Amino acid sequence: MARSKRSRATRRRWQRGFAILLLLLLIAGTVIVAVLGHRITSQFEGRRWTLPARVYAQPLDLYVGQSLSAERFTEELRRLGYLASEAADRPGTYRRKGGRVDVQVREFRFSDELQPAQSLRLDFKGGRMSSLRDAQGSDVPVARLDPLLIGSIFPTHGEDRIVVSPSEVPPLLPEALKAVEDRKFDQHFGVDPLAIMRALFANIRAGQVEQGGSTLTQQLVKSYFLDSRRTLRRKAEEAVMAIILEARFDKADIMNAYINEIYLGQDGRRAVHGFGLASQFYFGKPLNELDLHEVSLLVAIVRGPSYYDPRRHPERALERRNLVLRLLAEQRVVSDEQAEAAAGRPLGVTGSVRRGGSFFPAFLDLVRRQLRRDYREEDLTEAGLTVFTTLDPLLQEKAEAALAAELKRQDGSKREEAHGLEGVVVVTSPQTGEVIAMIGGRLASMDGFNRALDARRPIGSLAKPVVYLTALESGAFTPASIVQDEPVQLKLPGGQLWEPNNFDRRANGPVTIVEALTRSLNLATVNLGLEVGLDRVAQTFEDLGLEEAPPEYPSMLLGAVDLSPIDVAQIYNTLANGGFRSPLRAVRAVVDEDGQPLRAPELEVTQAASAEAVYALDRMLIEVMERGTGRTARRQLPDSLVVAGKTGTSNDYRDSWFAGFSGTHLIVVWVGHDDNSPTALTGTTGALPVWTKLMASIDTSAFEPLMPEDMEDRWVDYYTGRETSPICAGSALSLPFMIGARLEASESCLPGDAVEDETDQLLQPSPPDAVERRRRYKQP
Amino acid sequence: MRVLRCLLVGVLLLNGACSIQPFKPESPVAATGGAAQGRAAGSAPELESVKEPVPGMLPGDDLQILAPAPMPLPRERPAAPPATLKPASQALVNQAQAQRRKGDLPGANVSLERALRIEPNNPLLWIEMGRLRMDQGNLPQAESMGRKALAMSVGDDRTQAEAWRLIGESLKARGKNPQAEEAFERARELAPL
Repeated sequence: MARSKRSRATRRRWQRGFAILLLLLLIAGTVIVAVLGHRITSQFEGRRWTLPARVYAQPLDLYVGQSLSAERFTEELRRLGYLASEAADRPGTYRRKGGRVDVQVREFRFSDELQPAQSLRLDFKGGRMSSLRDAQGSDVPVARLDPLLIGSIFPTHGEDRIVVSPSEVPPLLPEALKAVEDRKFDQHFGVDPLAIMRALFANIRAGQVEQGGSTLTQQLVKSYFLDSRRTLRRKAEEAVMAIILEARFDKADIMNAYINEIYLGQDGRRAVHGFGLASQFYFGKPLNELDLHEVSLLVAIVRGPSYYDPRRHPERALERRNLVLRLLAEQRVVSDEQAEAAAGRPLGVTGSVRRGGSFFPAFLDLVRRQLRRDYREEDLTEAGLTVFTTLDPLLQEKAEAALAAELKRQDGSKREEAHGLEGVVVVTSPQTGEVIAMIGGRLASMDGFNRALDARRPIGSLAKPVVYLTALESGAFTPASIVQDEPVQLKLPGGQLWEPNNFDRRANGPVTIVEALTRSLNLATVNLGLEVGLDRVAQTFEDLGLEEAPPEYPSMLLGAVDLSPIDVAQIYNTLANGGFRSPLRAVRAVVDEDGQPLRAPELEVTQAASAEAVYALDRMLIEVMERGTGRTARRQLPDSLVVAGKTGTSNDYRDSWFAGFSGTHLIVVWVGHDDNSPTALTGTTGALPVWTKLMASIDTSAFEPLMPEDMEDRWVDYYTGRETSPICAGSALSLPFMIGARLEASESCLPGDAVEDETDQLLQPSPPDAVERRRRYKQP
Repeated sequence: MRVLRCLLVGVLLLNGACSIQPFKPESPVAATGGAAQGRAAGSAPELESVKEPVPGMLPGDDLQILAPAPMPLPRERPAAPPATLKPASQALVNQAQAQRRKGDLPGANVSLERALRIEPNNPLLWIEMGRLRMDQGNLPQAESMGRKALAMSVGDDRTQAEAWRLIGESLKARGKNPQAEEAFERARELAPL
């Protein structure tokens, strides 16, 4: 009796112990589940709303009379990922027959409307669009293509994605994912123990890793956590979290999250997540336009985006893609014929130069900085904004080409200093201040130091127009006024002596304002600037758009002012826009994820400088191109394309600048070395060739501003500034003056004089200096 | 002011002041894209006959005047034909006006910016944009854009009159009544409604 009593007590103690253990385990289990559950749920729900901002270029507007060839148009279409096809019946396709193009334009949600898909027929003749019609044959006055995706603003951890909603996902994709990665997806509860077994066997039999045992849910969980340790504990945690996820959310949600989350490739610093972005990244087109062989490739990449990178390891990628197709056929997702046909197609990925979603880092940088004024970082990287910008991708490419070609040419020059140069190009639309192209360095698509925004360099003679504008605005000077191109010595506050010199070390004596500016004479500019007042010149810099007036040293007159190319572009934009200051903008519109418009910098114009003074200055800047330091450009530009501009060279040839404009484009170019070493180039020999090459290659208009009402043209002598007649001498030119301005009449050739001796170019007796000046001037 | 200008013109004409064209007279510049200063590209615009009342007459007066009417004042430069919009810009302006009526001001802004990309130098577009700015409550910008339109339409009385009216409205809305009156007066001088 005692023994059974003791054993019963023992048993009960064991039972109790066991129960306590069980209870403890249960509690522990609950806590673990609760903790993991909380973690995964907050990840899942949190991640659903982490949507980087998508950034688009300026959409191309189409209209009759537009300067556009069939060739260029189809190029644009291809850049947008449109496919040439005989049928041309789906959005994203086109067909070209000679001068006629039929295109199915994609639907797109612009900031002002959801533009539906539309069918257009365009006819081109002589480099212009001659007709634009819709599917019914009616004329369309203006039509808009969908814009080019140029990037995203993604968070610092580098993940980038284009979120696709279930309606934007081709039904084939989830089917294919299930077939290849997780056959029992619809049935399991988060983990599939049988699948693990099956995968083990299959892989052993095949001798290679063909199938994974993880479910899609497990893969999703794994991808939420950057930690890629494959410890047993981690696997266990993931399994538990997968189960919890399945318990809390439905299959459709999980599949959609997977499609938007899974890591599918690397683009430099940018990690490509989700099939939406992967489709753009590999094929340059939206997910819903992919064909069977393309979808299969993406599914194949899931297993190992670097191992199966179709650009770096095309053979492996092809093999796995066709394996995927086989699996799809086996499981009756597609027919055998479809699979076979698809297996015969090439990979179809776009070249690595323009990976769908072209890459313009310098411009994107500007976009980001401008947006940061109105938006917090989290808004930009997580709130799913869509940003519409001012970038013209075609012009951007032309600018990149022009810069690259010229710098390469310099690499081959005899002067070693001109090798290995860096460069910047900024292009704006003067009337609106829109930045339409920006290059931050020689390797335009490298996301490094953005010289366009951050490289501050002395602007040299680019400062001179500011000085002359100040003089004209003061009312005390006209383009024909005389200034002294004579040596000047200044004692600076520190006690040192400043004694500037002309480029050729000569003093020309009394010269006209127009000659001084056209030939970029230093001495004349300094004397003029001192007379007008340093404070007024500094103020003019600010008026033109510089945020902070430069320090009022005399050397400011010769451009000892460090500015970035975009600062220069802002200043010259005002000069190119009749004195109206328009803040440079890269962003046109921003909408939230529901398509509602948000804050964006708005088009703004303010009369900052006198219209008459700017007009007179601009006419002189035209002369810079006609007969001054910019004249070598004229050879490569059509005669009718009137342009204006200014060269700039800093001390010891360290910086070579050119800023010049047509009627519709302002282009600023800087060329130099990052380490500030001399380049042996002037503005004329360094930056100007880049500018000219670009200006000659774009569709632009002549610079023809209207003369202000209270001004009139009068003929004056270039050297003496006296009023003369156009038929007298080659040195007479027409310049604008305020109506009623007093001009000294020329001594021998009066307005209205008829020339008597036609063989003699010069009618008036030339002052001795004039002959000397002319001789010097004619030297290149 | 007008008399003074007339005298100056007369003096200059007498002096045989030569070419008034500011640029090289060789080849007429081909107006591509949206270059031409507010003039419609392509077709040669017709000078509309504007019904201007003869100075000194009231509506209803008999046209048979006894005293000779003063000659229409010659201008220093040929009067520019009234600016017109390209069909594409016109369509976008129509769209913008419809959007404004519906209260979709951001949408109207997009439409007008598209038009400005096509014709950045057309003063009519700047006047439209200025009107939109009025709707948006941005009165200083409305005036600025009116002034920009003025600069782009020198010699084109009708467009200048519209620009002055816009400027006047903007000034009036800010309570600057004397300046507003001046602006409206200039509009009336240029193109009596």
